[in-house]
Amino acid sequence: MGKLKIEDLDKISESVRKRISLREGAGKVKITVHMGTCGIAAGARNVMTAFLNEIEIHNAKDIIVVTSGCAGLCSKEPMVTIEYENQAPVKYIELNEEKVKKIFDEHVLHGKIVPEYALSIGSERIQ
Amino acid sequence: MKNYRLQLMVCAGTACVSNHSLEIKEALEREIKNHNLENEAQVVQTGCNGFCGAGPILVVQPDGIFYQLLKVTDVKQIVEEHLIKGRPVKKLLYTPPEEKTPIPKLSDIPFFAEQTLIALRNRGLIDPENIDDYIARGGYKALAKVLTSMTPDEVLNEIKISGLRGRGGGGFPTGVKWESCKKAHGDEKYVICNADEGDPGAFMDRSIIEGDPHSVIEGMIIGAYAIENVKQGYIYVRMEYPLAIKRFQIAINQAREYGLLGQNIFDKGFDFDIEIRRGAGAFVCGESTALMASIEGKPGEPRAKYIHTVEKGLWDKPTCLNNVETWANVPQIILRGGKWFASIGTGDVSEDPWGGSKGTKVFSLAGKVNNTGLVEVPMGITLRDIIFRIGGGIRDGKKFKAVQTGGPSGGFIPESLIDLPVDYEELTKVGSMMGSGGMVVTDEDNCMVDMAKYFLAFTQAESCGKCIPCREGTKRMLDILEKITAGQGTEEDLVLLEELSNAIVESSLCALGGSAPNPVLTTLKYFRDEYEAHVKDKKCPAHICRQLNTYKINEKICLEIGHGCDVCKKYCPDGAIIGERKKVHYIDPAKCGKCGACYDVCNFNAIYIE
Amino acid sequence: MVTIKIDDIEVQVPEDTPILKAAEKAGIWIPTMCYNDLIEPYGVCRLCSVEVIRGKRSRVVTSCNYPVREGISVRTNSEKIKWIRKVIMELMVSRWPNVKVVREMAEKLGIEKPRFESLEKDEAPDACILCGLCVNVCRDLVGASILGFAYRGIKREVVLPFDEITDKCIVCGACAHVCPTGHVKMIVEDYKGKKPEFTLGPKTAIYVPSMQAVPRVPVIDPESCIHFKTGGCETCAKVCEPKAINYEMKDEVVEIDVGQILVATGYDLFDASQMAQYGYGRYDNVYSSLEFEMMLNSTGPTGGKVLTKDGKEPRAVGIIHCIGSRDTNYHPYCSRVCCMYALKFAHLVHDRTNAAIYQFYIDMRAFGKGYEEFYSRLLDEGINMIRGKAAEVVEAPPVNGQQGNLLIRCEDTLIGKFREIPVDMVILCNAIEPKRDSDIIRRLFSISKSPDGFFLERHPKLDPTATTTDGVYIAGCAQGPKDIPDTVAQASSAAARILTLISRGEVEIDPVRAMVMDEYCSGCRICNNLCPYGAIEFLEDKKISHVNEALCKGCGTCVAACPSSAMTGQGFTDAQILSELEGLLI
Repeated sequence: MGKLKIEDLDKISESVRKRISLREGAGKVKITVHMGTCGIAAGARNVMTAFLNEIEIHNAKDIIVVTSGCAGLCSKEPMVTIEYENQAPVKYIELNEEKVKKIFDEHVLHGKIVPEYALSIGSERIQ
Repeated sequence: MKNYRLQLMVCAGTACVSNHSLEIKEALEREIKNHNLENEAQVVQTGCNGFCGAGPILVVQPDGIFYQLLKVTDVKQIVEEHLIKGRPVKKLLYTPPEEKTPIPKLSDIPFFAEQTLIALRNRGLIDPENIDDYIARGGYKALAKVLTSMTPDEVLNEIKISGLRGRGGGGFPTGVKWESCKKAHGDEKYVICNADEGDPGAFMDRSIIEGDPHSVIEGMIIGAYAIENVKQGYIYVRMEYPLAIKRFQIAINQAREYGLLGQNIFDKGFDFDIEIRRGAGAFVCGESTALMASIEGKPGEPRAKYIHTVEKGLWDKPTCLNNVETWANVPQIILRGGKWFASIGTGDVSEDPWGGSKGTKVFSLAGKVNNTGLVEVPMGITLRDIIFRIGGGIRDGKKFKAVQTGGPSGGFIPESLIDLPVDYEELTKVGSMMGSGGMVVTDEDNCMVDMAKYFLAFTQAESCGKCIPCREGTKRMLDILEKITAGQGTEEDLVLLEELSNAIVESSLCALGGSAPNPVLTTLKYFRDEYEAHVKDKKCPAHICRQLNTYKINEKICLEIGHGCDVCKKYCPDGAIIGERKKVHYIDPAKCGKCGACYDVCNFNAIYIE
Repeated sequence: MVTIKIDDIEVQVPEDTPILKAAEKAGIWIPTMCYNDLIEPYGVCRLCSVEVIRGKRSRVVTSCNYPVREGISVRTNSEKIKWIRKVIMELMVSRWPNVKVVREMAEKLGIEKPRFESLEKDEAPDACILCGLCVNVCRDLVGASILGFAYRGIKREVVLPFDEITDKCIVCGACAHVCPTGHVKMIVEDYKGKKPEFTLGPKTAIYVPSMQAVPRVPVIDPESCIHFKTGGCETCAKVCEPKAINYEMKDEVVEIDVGQILVATGYDLFDASQMAQYGYGRYDNVYSSLEFEMMLNSTGPTGGKVLTKDGKEPRAVGIIHCIGSRDTNYHPYCSRVCCMYALKFAHLVHDRTNAAIYQFYIDMRAFGKGYEEFYSRLLDEGINMIRGKAAEVVEAPPVNGQQGNLLIRCEDTLIGKFREIPVDMVILCNAIEPKRDSDIIRRLFSISKSPDGFFLERHPKLDPTATTTDGVYIAGCAQGPKDIPDTVAQASSAAARILTLISRGEVEIDPVRAMVMDEYCSGCRICNNLCPYGAIEFLEDKKISHVNEALCKGCGTCVAACPSSAMTGQGFTDAQILSELEGLLI
């Protein structure tokens, strides 16, 4: 890169921000894609890839995508839980790539829940 | 474009590397490729995580899942179960001893949860061979702040307010040292980083260098700026740390490329560069005057410090030497303020720089604890908390006996004193010292006389040999200890041992001799009963000193359970076991050479020590 | 200047003076073992430890290198210090029980027996006590850095580089000089400078020529002296208290006007290594006469004892006459003195050892007063006289791997047999030769040499002390080999001749002499070198030649040579001769 100026420090920070914040486990929004056997059979992988693409296209920051096991509601797979920091998680069911787009635009980016695709708000918590 | 959603942090500190962690990293990369996850998951090598007893370690972020004791064969399962299906592999997670449920998240594991990271703030989160990672975590921001908006005096003042004291062992207030160097006559001065971590079992500095070398470099540049007239810095690394040397060199090269070392840093007209010098295998070269002699190309021997090295050091020029951990704390102090640093720890340094111990300290916890590794804790935490909360208590449910702080020159602290807060002055008061941060825990199965002999043997072998008290005195002390552990000690020997120890402490030329007798002095003070048992009763209470053991065979067990298996007789080198197959065996005390081979070999525990 | 208190005595010293020096000023003794004023204090023995009290804090420091500051108070003999010294001495005595300086210091500090044994005990009285003085002197004072410490801890020792003798060592001897135990010794095996004449043992670059030298002061050999080679060292000047050493001293050229000169320049000894058959210079125990003389001398290298090179008494000694004398290959003349001193040698060897003594001679020249009687006495003492010049000296073949002794091969003409005599030591009677620079002397004083190379006397029978040049006399072995009584006689006679002339105050000379006519002399100086008597000198201020009337013998050579006809014979000028002829013929 050549000799740095002080402003360059911030530029470098920005460019690697994403992966550093991933390591810190910090994020504004957490998207959990449920990938139990049922989920994978129903196409959860494609849903995951779709979300990842959306993040790339919109160059969105502070979003974590994690996987988890079966959520329990196998008939409604593929399922995704979107959790805003300090807010109740929202479960979305029977997803495909189009629905992912809408949910991403409205809920993830702007915080507006998309009720027609949602199952519920809140979830069981294991104490 | 790579759109990572996963960061797989593989620990690549020396300990994990020697346990094949780099092969695990390669296996991970292979499996990820096989499963088409290259664009989603990035494998990053980091420095030491600190929990070295559990290595090789993998941390999966952003989940924060902690995998331990990995083998290359485990990788496939992790990728398939966890990365793809989202199910962490239970059997590879950390399970506290005596419990059944694993703790998946790193932040929940008590070893990590109780720590406060300042010097190790980037632990496990950055690739030490990539300067961009360091910058992204706020690196070199402190340097920018210093060069744009602070005068050298202001920087110095911040360090003084923080109460930072030398982390290498002496605990000398860093602000006072920098100030003396600044005031010394001369317009050619040097800064040195002492990375010749010689204490056996201590690896704090190595961790910092292997995991976050830039923190040290940034600290040195800031120090050079504050002291003024410093154009060149040296890092003296012991040659037994090849990985650390490699990572330092890569870091320096990358910093030079970015213009953070060299001429006109950040276009602010400040020049500074760093060179690495390697040690050659002498513990005494960790002593500042011996280190400087070594850099100058002379034999590594200390000299009298009546004229301090801040006035006449390297090539007789004013030199400021600080430990790796001390330098690593500097950028944080500048960024967050000296007051913030002083708010952590004990005492009050506003009037007297020696009035308290501020900030955090990295300790290397080793010995008979469950969780061995590196911990960074705020000053003032009690020894009990470190050993039992963070360290997870004594292994195998044994009873705690003593903890040795400060490396081979430190003293042993018995149970009655472990509610002591960790603080420079408190530890010195009881006869030990903070040292570089080594903490060795002993339990009821350790013999304190043997432990003292072990540490004295180290310092005696590492003595440079220049002055009479250390060279001759420590050897005489070791001879006496050998006598005692062989069962030939007398009461006069104990008196002599104490007298020699005190004389050596008073009259040695450098701190190696001045502190070598500490293990002996503290064990004599707190565990005199063990010495007396060795000398009067000719017995070793912990059964470690084999020459004092009397080996006997429990006839009942030998006959009924062992059925006279005859194995011990085959192993006895002295022909001291009498017996025939299927009959009871006896040990003839007259012939027994006390080697303990029979004791080790009996499968039925029929042999016991009286 | 700062004021400090040492043991309640106030003393003022410059700032940064080490406590040790301040204590010296106050008259207080502090023990030291590794300290020497020549070098920077090393501070390793720790014996000089004292307590320094500054404010409320007391600290144990080494006084040799702790710089004083205003207001400190020092205790050199507190209970703590006495105890520390005791422990250190015990450590030293247990390791080096027989070293003199250690024993002496232990006695001084009241230590008898240490309370422990050292597994590294070294019972040698010249053990190395690792004080570092030799290493530091060599590095800092001399600048050669030959000695150094190797190995760590208890295994520390002083070594040469790679344990080999190096030619970078300039053999100054400073290390041996400062070593307190004698562990470092100086052994000069290959002496590089000019070998002093009577050396049988090692010498340093500064040495006293011999105990009978007059004056008996040391002299520096500039060819071996490090200071002259490197500009460094100067150890001798540093240790000389009256500061008597002056490296700038140069030869002075003194001009004195004299009327008469006595040349008594002595002789040189024939170099026997020219005669390879006698093994001089090749075999260890073959000595020249002067060397053996040195050995016999009580101030010599052996203190007067007759010993072979390896320090043992010889069982048999052979004395060979006429080495270089009476020899058509070298000097045909007889050196006159050798027979008698050879007998003296035999007598002294007989006195001091039980050796069998053999003399190999051609003729026994016992010409002087009491000489023949001495010879007879020796025959009675049982000295073996073998008439026959020794042919050669060879080394006997080694027996049982040990070096053999020497064999002298000769023909014993009295019994008519060839003999091979085994001896442990051979003494050669070297010829007396004219001095090697006698040619230079000869030309300087315009005197002649006889065919044997010694200066020529005016008349061999009637005038052995004068030369043909007036005013120049010769005496002693410069004129020819002679012993001491004869030399004294000759020298006295020459001195008397000189004194008579001086006491008379006037000289009678022949009126026949040359004279320069000043107006005609062109200053060409042809006559100056022609005069066989050196009687013509050149006057620089007048730029003309002038005849010294006392020296001129009137031979007329210059008169004939003068191109300007400026030179005439007194009373024989051309005009006078022509007038005489005129008177005769007309």
